[in-house]
Amino acid sequence: MKISEETLNNISALSKIKIDDDIKPKLIEDLEAIMAMVDEMNKIDTDKVEPMSHPIGDAQNLREDISDKNIDRDAFQKHAPKTDDGFYLTPKVIEQND
Amino acid sequence: MSEVDNSSWETVIGLEIHVQLATESKIFSNAPTTFGQPQNTQASLVDLGLPGVLPVLNKKTIEMAIKFGCAIDANISSRAIFARKNYFYPDLPKGYQISQLDDPIVGEGEIEIEIDNRKKLIGVTRAHLEEDAGKSLHDKYDDFSAIDLNRAGTPLLEIVSEPDLRSAKESVAYLKKVHSLITFLEISDGDMSQGSMRCDANVSIRKFGESEYGNRTEIKNINSFKFVEKAINHEIQRQIDVVENGGRIEQETRLYDSSKNETRPMRSKEHANDYRYFPEPDLIPLNISKEQILEIRNNLPELPEEKKLRFVSDYGISEYESQNLNSSKELSMFFENIAKKVRYPKNAAKWILGDLTALLNKHNTEIKNSKISYGNMINLLNKIDDESLSGPGAKKVIELLWESESSVDEIIHAEGLDHVQDEGDIERMIDTIILENPKQYEQFKKGKDKLFGFFVGQVMKASKGSANPKTVNEVLKKKLSQ
Amino acid sequence: MTNLTSLSLLEQIDGLKNKKFSSEELTSDYLKKIHKKNKDLNCFISIDDSAIEKAKECDERISKNKGNILEGIPIAHKDIFCIKDQRTTCGSKMLDNFISPYSSTVYEKLSNAGVITLGKTNMDEFAMGSSNETSFYGNVKNPIDLERVPGGSSGGSAAAVSANLCSFSTGTDTGGSIRQPAAFCGITGIKPTYGRVSRWGMIAFASSLDQGGIFAKNALDASLALENISGFDPKDSTSINKKVPSLLKEASSKDMDHIVGIPKSIITNIKDAKVKNNFEESIKILENSGIKIKEIELPNLEYALPAYYVIAPAECSANLSRYDGVRFGHRCEDPVDLNDLYSRSRAEGFGDEVKKRILIGTYCLSAGYYDAYYIKAQKIRNLIKESFSNAFKEVSSIAMPTCANVSFKLNSIQSPVEMYEQDIYTIPANLAGLPAMSVPSGKINNLPLGIQFIGDYLKEGIILNIANKFQEQTDFHKQI
Repeated sequence: MKISEETLNNISALSKIKIDDDIKPKLIEDLEAIMAMVDEMNKIDTDKVEPMSHPIGDAQNLREDISDKNIDRDAFQKHAPKTDDGFYLTPKVIEQND
Repeated sequence: MSEVDNSSWETVIGLEIHVQLATESKIFSNAPTTFGQPQNTQASLVDLGLPGVLPVLNKKTIEMAIKFGCAIDANISSRAIFARKNYFYPDLPKGYQISQLDDPIVGEGEIEIEIDNRKKLIGVTRAHLEEDAGKSLHDKYDDFSAIDLNRAGTPLLEIVSEPDLRSAKESVAYLKKVHSLITFLEISDGDMSQGSMRCDANVSIRKFGESEYGNRTEIKNINSFKFVEKAINHEIQRQIDVVENGGRIEQETRLYDSSKNETRPMRSKEHANDYRYFPEPDLIPLNISKEQILEIRNNLPELPEEKKLRFVSDYGISEYESQNLNSSKELSMFFENIAKKVRYPKNAAKWILGDLTALLNKHNTEIKNSKISYGNMINLLNKIDDESLSGPGAKKVIELLWESESSVDEIIHAEGLDHVQDEGDIERMIDTIILENPKQYEQFKKGKDKLFGFFVGQVMKASKGSANPKTVNEVLKKKLSQ
Repeated sequence: MTNLTSLSLLEQIDGLKNKKFSSEELTSDYLKKIHKKNKDLNCFISIDDSAIEKAKECDERISKNKGNILEGIPIAHKDIFCIKDQRTTCGSKMLDNFISPYSSTVYEKLSNAGVITLGKTNMDEFAMGSSNETSFYGNVKNPIDLERVPGGSSGGSAAAVSANLCSFSTGTDTGGSIRQPAAFCGITGIKPTYGRVSRWGMIAFASSLDQGGIFAKNALDASLALENISGFDPKDSTSINKKVPSLLKEASSKDMDHIVGIPKSIITNIKDAKVKNNFEESIKILENSGIKIKEIELPNLEYALPAYYVIAPAECSANLSRYDGVRFGHRCEDPVDLNDLYSRSRAEGFGDEVKKRILIGTYCLSAGYYDAYYIKAQKIRNLIKESFSNAFKEVSSIAMPTCANVSFKLNSIQSPVEMYEQDIYTIPANLAGLPAMSVPSGKINNLPLGIQFIGDYLKEGIILNIANKFQEQTDFHKQI
């Protein structure tokens, strides 16, 4: 399975990780090697098999609808990178979104 | 404005309604859901997406979703399976939203709307549970955006309609019907101004007769019934104009600006289009038993349609009046509490839908904030029903009831609206009026019968509307024939 | 005084109870040793010298007969378990400054049982690795041979027990990260059934595969320690709501009969002749102790590795999206816009292996590839679960080597796939969610290796019992 630079750019954009140009070739090489190993999966026919997303089936942990008002905002924000007046701050986002 | 003939265009609309469920705690964390709290004081460890935290499902959200599904006769899934919807945005702390994809808890159902006296069935494709995102405020700081995660994790029921709506009016009717359903079921307070109910509209046009759908745009940021109609109508016209002028409709998301009454494209969002959904590994699929569904179905509260019909048969009011009284659960309860205690429920309907509603509109508020209580309305209606208070007098009283803390009796007395019952008083009043209006008296005696009304009016004026009309009639007849 | 630090957990509990020595002495000895050895081993990221004060408090309680079951026992936690108001780094620059506002259930349970935390151990970054060579805090060295790796990702916790810096430590195992380092370091390591140990506060790598577990000097020690981190936790939706039996009792029981299954095709295909030989010798030892051995089929296990390297990266790509520089963790300097904040903070905060796995995971989940990769891997997962299920109809436990070979030299494996292949024997149990453990089974060129026992769901007691029987017949576990 070949991975083009364009594909690498797409997945690094989706996963929000900046990749410097100089490491791209080696990275692509490694990713291709991993995907080649992954492609071994194709050697087995799984048409009639159901996918399994959880190793255990019977935990049904539910919560009662009771709220806990003990939220210590200051403790949670004590080591946050950038806050002001209880808000978390990020670089300004231009568009409106809610 | 285009002068082309819009009637050759068919509009196709689908609505996605996000309903905030009225639970005490959030869907996956036990933080409170109270509205309007200081920023980030309702964001727990789980809501903040700190390393090592895990979601646990609030059982009430399942019950509420099932309630809704039963009310619209939809299939309820036998399992609740959640999925991660992956994208980056500061108001989405984990970098993914826990939602549902392939197995929505509520499957296909339908909702009946009434438009121009016609009934129409609107299909519901699905309704699923998901968590709400927080809020980003872009105007608080010059160089930063401010993130408040209080809302992050609030339970949402996303209700997706089939593209069965054909006009802005139908869309509003559908939205109002959903609103009344969710309030009657008590799963949400449906308050659009607070964001408990949010609506996105998918709008496209095509020529009548075409079976293919045109490209659709998604209109976001509509936060009132009024704006739903305006936004959709604006978008329809915009699309018609574009196509008529040779352009094509881009499939895009547009934001509605209520101050300018226009839609404009959203800048390409930071959201990737590829959400890479996969089953949420932190939540085991939940089994929903047939017994549980049956129990919820059997215990559904009275739905708006049923209540509407029942009001007509129980209280002798018209369908139209009943429809309006059932526009919200609170109003229907207000009416029923009164109707049960007064002699003429039809009067209650008239006064609630008339003068009381006028007052609510004047003060831009809803029945839950009415300054006039049940008790007051009952007292007032009793006085109207036993004719100790006339129509005009009652109108005055109801206005004053809103303004003051006084009781009905106190206001009546203060305004001298106590009925002048005494015949003697009325006779004396009439005598004075005859003396003061010799010309009219002459004319009446000469045969101008119409002037009877004039004299009645004068008596009512003199008595400040409080004279018993029946008595006035009798005495006046007597006096004028002398 | 005997060397307190070489005592086993049960010996220490007995010693403290019978006032042969105090917790303060024990803790002090450990701390001295840690400070001395950590320069070479680099197995601790943070060392808590205030443990001495806690030890004194424990001695108080013990003297009043108010001690809990593990009162005064010093231990180490893998730096993946959050501790309130303390640094938890997960071996990553991304969390170098992360002070957790809450504690993990594993930490709380052990603290309530009376343990003293000596420090947080080094690990592969975000638990991704098989050699403890990807940590932001540098490599961990194998105490048995400082030029070799201890295994990973829980390399620090394994090295700590192997070097007698504590009698037991906590670890996590997603694809073998407890069992493989246990084998490389010559100690006992156990990963319980998925859902047995709460994941609350255990920083997530791959949610449907991660499990917390124990490193100890022997099976009995491991059983007592495991008992004290297991149990239902309502804060974890994947937590199993079933009573935890007395694992120590089950491990030491004389009444269990065992049929241990040997997967024919896997054993035949062991590449290294010495490893194969060691395994066969180990089986003979089991037979001599009265355990029945049966050859079984365990088909499709050869697809475990590729399936794992779709599922684990896929889940981790989503689990690691929260590291964005906004609410905690590393944030780049002067981000020009939101995209820059994310892309640069994450590029700076994550190491190469983590980035690779996030990219692989994102790729496998992306439009057009989801069915071919993610769904396919989940189907294989089902097949593997079924293989085990069928096997457990005939046997009560399955044995195979823990690793294909002994520990390798630092920096000797550069190819990612070659590194991933370290886990071929351990990954299947994670995919199926089954309990599995490794015990020392001998040495090759003076380097230890292990034998792995896999049990059916919630049958930790059975594999601990087999391990204990094995250890009654051998002394490999006493050689550290």
